[in-house]
Order: sequence, then C-alpha cells, then structure tokens
Amino acid sequence: MYELIGVWCAVLLTLSIFSYLYGDNPFYKAAEHIFVGVSAGYIFTITFWDTIWPNLFGRLFPSYVKAGFEFDITYIFPFILGVFMLFRLSKKYDWLSRISIAYIVGMMAGLKFYVFLNSNLLTQIKSSTINLSGTYYNIINEVIVLIGVISGLVYFFFSKEHTGVIGKVSRIGIYFLMIKFGASFGFAVMGRISLLIGRFEELIEFSKPEYYYSTPVILVVIILILSYWAFNENNHVVEE
Amino acid sequence: MYKLKNIFIYLGQLDRRYIFLLIALSVLIPLMKPGLLNIPIKTTSNSEIVFEQLNNLNKGDKVLVSFAYGASTKPEIHPMSIAVLQHLFSKGIKVYTVPLWPEGLMMAKYALKEVIESNLFDIKEHTDYVSLPYKAGGEIIIRGIATDLRSIFTQDVNNILLIDIPMMDGVHKVTDFDFIFDLSAGVPGNAEWVQFACDEHNVPLSSGCTSIMVTDAIPYVESGQIRGILAGMPGAAEYEQMVFKYLSDLRDSEILNENTPIVPGKATSRMSAQSIAHLLMVIFIILGNISYYLEQRRND
Repeated sequence: MYELIGVWCAVLLTLSIFSYLYGDNPFYKAAEHIFVGVSAGYIFTITFWDTIWPNLFGRLFPSYVKAGFEFDITYIFPFILGVFMLFRLSKKYDWLSRISIAYIVGMMAGLKFYVFLNSNLLTQIKSSTINLSGTYYNIINEVIVLIGVISGLVYFFFSKEHTGVIGKVSRIGIYFLMIKFGASFGFAVMGRISLLIGRFEELIEFSKPEYYYSTPVILVVIILILSYWAFNENNHVVEE
Repeated sequence: MYKLKNIFIYLGQLDRRYIFLLIALSVLIPLMKPGLLNIPIKTTSNSEIVFEQLNNLNKGDKVLVSFAYGASTKPEIHPMSIAVLQHLFSKGIKVYTVPLWPEGLMMAKYALKEVIESNLFDIKEHTDYVSLPYKAGGEIIIRGIATDLRSIFTQDVNNILLIDIPMMDGVHKVTDFDFIFDLSAGVPGNAEWVQFACDEHNVPLSSGCTSIMVTDAIPYVESGQIRGILAGMPGAAEYEQMVFKYLSDLRDSEILNENTPIVPGKATSRMSAQSIAHLLMVIFIILGNISYYLEQRRND
C-alpha cells in the first residue's frame, strides 16, 4: 500500500515538473516547493542525527550519546562556533556568525591551497611534458596537449595587449577553448538525455496494471486541469 | 530554392514545444519497443582501464566505494554502481561503502540490495561488505578518511561499533584500502578524492561519473591520477557489457550461485534511446545553424 502511494506521488511530481515544458503553472510551482522543502528537511535531519549528534555531542556527552567516542573537551570549540552560526538569525548579534565563517574560510583556503598546488598544478604540469621515448601517436597527442596548455594560458594573460605573436597564440587558445566548450556541451546533452530516459523508464513501468495505471491516469488529470487553467487565464487576459 | 530557404527559416522559428515533443518521442519509442533498434556497444579505452584495474585486484583486497550521487543523477550512475559491485563481489573483494552526499546513503543501500537480491553471490553484511553512514562535510570527510577514519566513523550504518566488526580490523586510514572507487555526480566527487586523499597517499583511484563531469575529470585520467573513467550512461553500458561477459565466463565456477540468471544491466537497454535522441539533437543543431545562417543573410 505504502509503495503504491509512493509510486503515485513520484508520478505526480515527475509529471508536474515536466509540465513546465508547456509553461509555468501551479503544478510545477507546487512540485518545486515540495522538492525544496523535502530536501531541506531530509538534509537537516540526516546531518543532525548522522553527524552533529554522534560526532559532536558524542564527544561532549559520550556516556549519554554512546557513539563510540571518548570525552574530548576540545570539541567545545566547534560547538561554540556552531552556536555562533545560528546568530545569523539575530540582527543584534549576527556579527558573532562572522567568527565561524572566518574559521571555515581560513581553514578551507589553507587546505585547498595545498591540495590544489599538489594535484592540479604540479602534477598537471608534469603530465603536460612530452615523453619522447613514447610512441609516435603518444608524442603527437602530448604535443597537441602542450600547445593547448600554452595557448590557453596565453589567452588568459591580460598584462599585454593581444596583438602580434601573442594575439596569434591566444587565437589558437580560443580554438582549444571552443573545442572544450563543445565537448562539455555534448556531454551535458548526453547527461540530460540520460536523466530523461531514467524518468521515462519509471513512468512506463508505473503505467502497468499493478500500479493502477498511475502514469496515464495522472497525465490525463494534469492535462485536463492545465487546459481548464489555461482557458481561464486566457479569458482573464481578454477581460483585462 | 527560394521555397527550401523559407522552409529552413520556418524550422528555425518552430515553437520549442514541438522540439520537446520530438525528443520525448525519440526517447519513449525505443524504451517501449526495446527490440526496435539494437545498436552495438563498443567499449572505450577508459572503461577498459577501469575494468582491468578492478580485475587485477585479489580476493580479500579492500575497496572503498564512495557514493556521491543522488536521485537526480541515479539513471546515469546507479547502473555502473551495480556493475562495479557485481564485479567486486565476484572476485571476493571486501567492499566498504561510504556516502558523501545525503542521498548517497540511500543509493548505496539500493545498490547493495539489488546485488544481494540478484542471488548471484553469497554475500553477507560485515563479512563481505560494510556500509558506513553519511557524514556532512564533503572534502573534509575525504581528508578524515585519508588520515584517520576512526576519528569520523565509529559506527556503521546500523549503529554497530566498528571495533565490533571483524571486517574493519586494520582499517584506519585510506592507505589501508587497496583501491578507491568513486561514483560521483558533483562536489565532492572524483576531483576531491584525487586532491584530498589519493594523490598524497598514493592510493589507486577510479571513477564513474556523470557525463557533465567528464571534461573536468579527463586531465586527471590523462595524468594517471584517476585510473580510467566510466563516462555517464554510455560508460555504464560499456562496463555492464564487460561485467556481463566476465560473469558469463564464470557461470560454471563456484563463485556464482547455481541457477541464477545473469542479466545485463539497465544502462545497456537504455542506449538505443540515448543514441536516437543524440541523432535527433545533431539534426536539430545542423538545421538550427542553417536556419540562423539563412536568416542572417536575408536580414543583411
């Protein structure tokens, strides 16, 4: 029974979101708001019970929470910083939240700086060098990569006007960037079609008698209500 | 010729809702009539590298599988997560799942459930796999797993203490795993695994990700920081094919349960719809460009 209710809800919400393809309408709006509300509630609940409760309170009150951690007084600092964040809701004391934000920004900046330098800069520079002992195919590939890296970097070099040699090299950089954007667009289309296939597959599955033909029934109901709504809207516009 | 030009210009001004309808039909028809078009799936080198990497692991090796995707990207990632789990369990590898997204918890649960219910393998919780719970923090959690897993996780998803689970003996940090497999649809995902754990601690990593992430992840693949990549639904279909063939070859061995059918995964059956929709998109792009060019010339 519960599965059936879930299926009908899933079909109704999916078709409500798809109804945006026709235009903005109450079904779409309702589905959007439900999604935001449910997501926020789910994330809040799971974050509290899976992270804050065992990892923070589990260290401050180990005998009560029983999460397997030992008492650790240093966790009073993250607790205080967490409470400070809640002061964003107060106009008078919202400055306290900036201390917590400063901590997060400082800590993440330091951490990111190191890992980015190591994984994205040094390793990527190393991998864009040409290995002359490789096969011809690999050498040609590596030369293309190197040209792309250099011309791409020159394109983003704004301290000198893009004329002469720099202009020509940056032009090559633009072509490489265009190819990258084209590939990204192609992959984005592929991804979106995949998601559409996933939803359609479930809608087809839920059209079966064991689900009481939920997809066609809800589709017809939505079309009828939307038609009535659109008709009323048109009349309203004509009257105005 | 004049008439043809006008047709192209008219097509460029077509109401977008007709295009939506055509795309919907191009996806719906192959899904409703699966036998209508069978497009062969050819494996690419990146998918083959992933397969080889996991295939080279030995019985009893420990693999951490990270679930960083949710319901919105399930059609792309879920088929590959099932194929990867089937491959790992068929080799007797110990699997540790960790969700890095709130919905990843459910995705890991559903993927494991599907593999268990297929009855292909005799797998038991805490003997063959351990499910770790979701912890908020993204890359900080990856950093924590890299340095001291027990400082973040003390219980599994069923609130059983890790010290009471024999499979967790000797598992304290990322270097205690033989391989990391990332299934991701955004941040945190494969880039964060590279940056915060695998590069620094020299642990092999492979990834299966959404199509949209591929162009950003390819530099890591080219440099060897990620060992092969499964790119979206086609990547999942390719991996399913390889695992299907691998499991079919094992049919008479003791590894698989007798009389349980080996079926190809969902991504394979979805590829016809994907290919037709792509073809239609290419036609739209060509027609759109011709129409735009002709209209510009007419206006000049």
